[in-house]
Amino acid sequence: MKRLAGVSVAALMLGLSGTAFAEGEFAGVTLEAKLIGGQQYEALYARIPEWEKMTGATVKIISQKNHFELDKEFKSDLAASTTNWCVGSNHSSFASQYPSLYTDLTPLIPADQVAEYVPANIAAATLDGKLVMLPRAQFDVSALYYQKSLYTDPAKAEAFKAKFGYDLAVPETWDQLRDQAEFFASPPNFYGTQYAGKDEAIVGRFYELVVANGGKLFNDDFSPAFNSDAGKQSLQWFVDLYKAGAVPPGTTNYLWDDLGNGFASGTIGLNLDWPGWAGFFNDPAASKVAGNVGVAPAPKGSAGVRTGWSGFHGFSVTENCANKEAAAALVLFLTNEESQILESSAGPLPSRTKVWEHVVDAAKSDPYKTEVLAAFQETGKTAFAVPATPYWIEATNLIYPELQAAILGDKSVDEALQAASDAVDGLMRENGVY
Amino acid sequence: MTRLRLPPWLVLLLPAIIILAAVVLVPLVLSFYSSFTAYQLTRPETLWKWIGTFNYRKAAGDANFWWAFGRTVLLLTIALNLEMLLGLGLAVMVSKVTTGQRLLRTAMMFPMMFSPVLVGFQFKFIFNDNVGLVNNALQSLGLTDVAIPWLVDGHLALFSIIFAEIWTSTSVFAILILAGLYAIPQDPVEAAKVDGCTPWQSFRFVTLPFLMPFIYIAMAIRSLDVARAYDIVQIMTNGGPARRTELLWTLIGRTAYVDARMGYANAMGYIAILLSIFFTIYFFRKLTAARSELGMGV
Repeated sequence: MKRLAGVSVAALMLGLSGTAFAEGEFAGVTLEAKLIGGQQYEALYARIPEWEKMTGATVKIISQKNHFELDKEFKSDLAASTTNWCVGSNHSSFASQYPSLYTDLTPLIPADQVAEYVPANIAAATLDGKLVMLPRAQFDVSALYYQKSLYTDPAKAEAFKAKFGYDLAVPETWDQLRDQAEFFASPPNFYGTQYAGKDEAIVGRFYELVVANGGKLFNDDFSPAFNSDAGKQSLQWFVDLYKAGAVPPGTTNYLWDDLGNGFASGTIGLNLDWPGWAGFFNDPAASKVAGNVGVAPAPKGSAGVRTGWSGFHGFSVTENCANKEAAAALVLFLTNEESQILESSAGPLPSRTKVWEHVVDAAKSDPYKTEVLAAFQETGKTAFAVPATPYWIEATNLIYPELQAAILGDKSVDEALQAASDAVDGLMRENGVY
Repeated sequence: MTRLRLPPWLVLLLPAIIILAAVVLVPLVLSFYSSFTAYQLTRPETLWKWIGTFNYRKAAGDANFWWAFGRTVLLLTIALNLEMLLGLGLAVMVSKVTTGQRLLRTAMMFPMMFSPVLVGFQFKFIFNDNVGLVNNALQSLGLTDVAIPWLVDGHLALFSIIFAEIWTSTSVFAILILAGLYAIPQDPVEAAKVDGCTPWQSFRFVTLPFLMPFIYIAMAIRSLDVARAYDIVQIMTNGGPARRTELLWTLIGRTAYVDARMGYANAMGYIAILLSIFFTIYFFRKLTAARSELGMGV
């Protein structure tokens, strides 16, 4: 108890000042960590020696991989019962799969500290009443990148109005986006838009479109709810674009890198994508559309709701960690104000309310950055995380081949959604969910 | 009190038995046992949840599994036959070269030196519909003005995967057949010439029967390889889109490590092993028949 109180005081000091810490609080403690690797994440880890110096603890990073690889490693760890390492990178889309791996941070982190994070992020990091991670400044939601030049050509504007009966402007709805994508497309050299076409990625896009069209992916008991009018309308949107040749024919094989590089190559008109690409798209050395990039909030569906499938990275503490207090203090340090300001200075979006204000303020002199932040902040207001079921990833593996089958014309929209719904229903029943 | 004395032969064999048990027998028994449980990697306690033959019945009734099974057999049949024909042609041509043969033999083995994962990435880029080499070349040459979806169209995607498999492994056949060509006794070949056989006749009725044992060995090795094809397919299409290139091991790999359903994946794995056993027995029977035909004994 005494130790807990000590930690809380130390954590409080740390949170308030960003760097202050009870000197030598965890002298002699060694924490093993499994963290997400990659250049964009490394700057934060450079702060770890600072924390070690303050607390006297030692952090040993025993694994650094991308989230998909870490996910496999965590599952192997659970299988082999080798879960006595302490701090792990986590992600809102993966978190629900490891109900027994991570501890509840609520007793370890003071409530007023937790209140400083964006409430929606904390809500998504809380599973079955357990706060399983603290979010770092890697909040992801998608906004609409577009080539500005498409909207400055009077001939295009006139032709568009003649065909569709309304003015050509950056799309505010997904129906408008479909019209424009078909209008701009000139295959094989130019496509109106594109979408991630496989794995969890396409299911995520489908999910947010279902919500924007007024539907739900799952009912409250996690039985499938997407075989509905909203679901059919959403899948039809993907099918229409593919049939019209408005998206690259290989789009069903594309994942995030293909999409980012495709938009940067100048061959895509409109691109719903993550905030991490903003700098890359406007960098003349990397992108052919640099200087011609506009960013708008994600369009709305037929229910007047914006798409807003979101996720974020975070850090968790394992249930079997020998020194949970030290581990929680490290997690708090890695997600405190200073850490988030450091991470978000390179582009990623923060998950602390105050850091959002700081980032917006710092971008005032840069019109592009300001436009980017405004678009993502607006989209972030109504963002939502993936359904909190441990079977999310498994369900996506059952749904995406059926979505692809409809897009490629192997099945009708009705047949595909029925098959996907039956498969997910079978999965949930087999696991005793209902 | 007498000390337990093991017979010397057992003592001598014990290290091998222990190692084999540790690396082969225990995993085999454990995986076989787990195929009768609801074992999920993320829930270790499920290893003890016995569900009888549920996983096997589920796999047997799953159309997607049998499609993957059939597609694996198709891939195996096409890839193996084409590799054999191309390898045979390559070996015969190389055997006729008089200068620079060593260099050619080394160059022929280059594709085998690449990691299959890298080969997968290389062909994924080559066949990309938007920025890929093949489409750009075809469009630049004016042969087409559309972006051919190499990795999306059902037939083209399987063709692209078979192309990558053949590119990387034809040399296995070529090298083994070349070894066979060097081992052929010259007397029967010369006798055929003296008897007035055409080059085709002496190849068909003298050289080829001598080569058949080598071809069947290559077939047996490669059939095991292709039946567990995973890396190249995983990188190029991951079994998609819409399961159009789903093979047994991409399905099993995803079930085991992404869905974490190790019990079910193991059940599918044991059914899949039947395929490998069938092809191995088939090619070894063929090998034995070819050897006895040559009077080489069995």
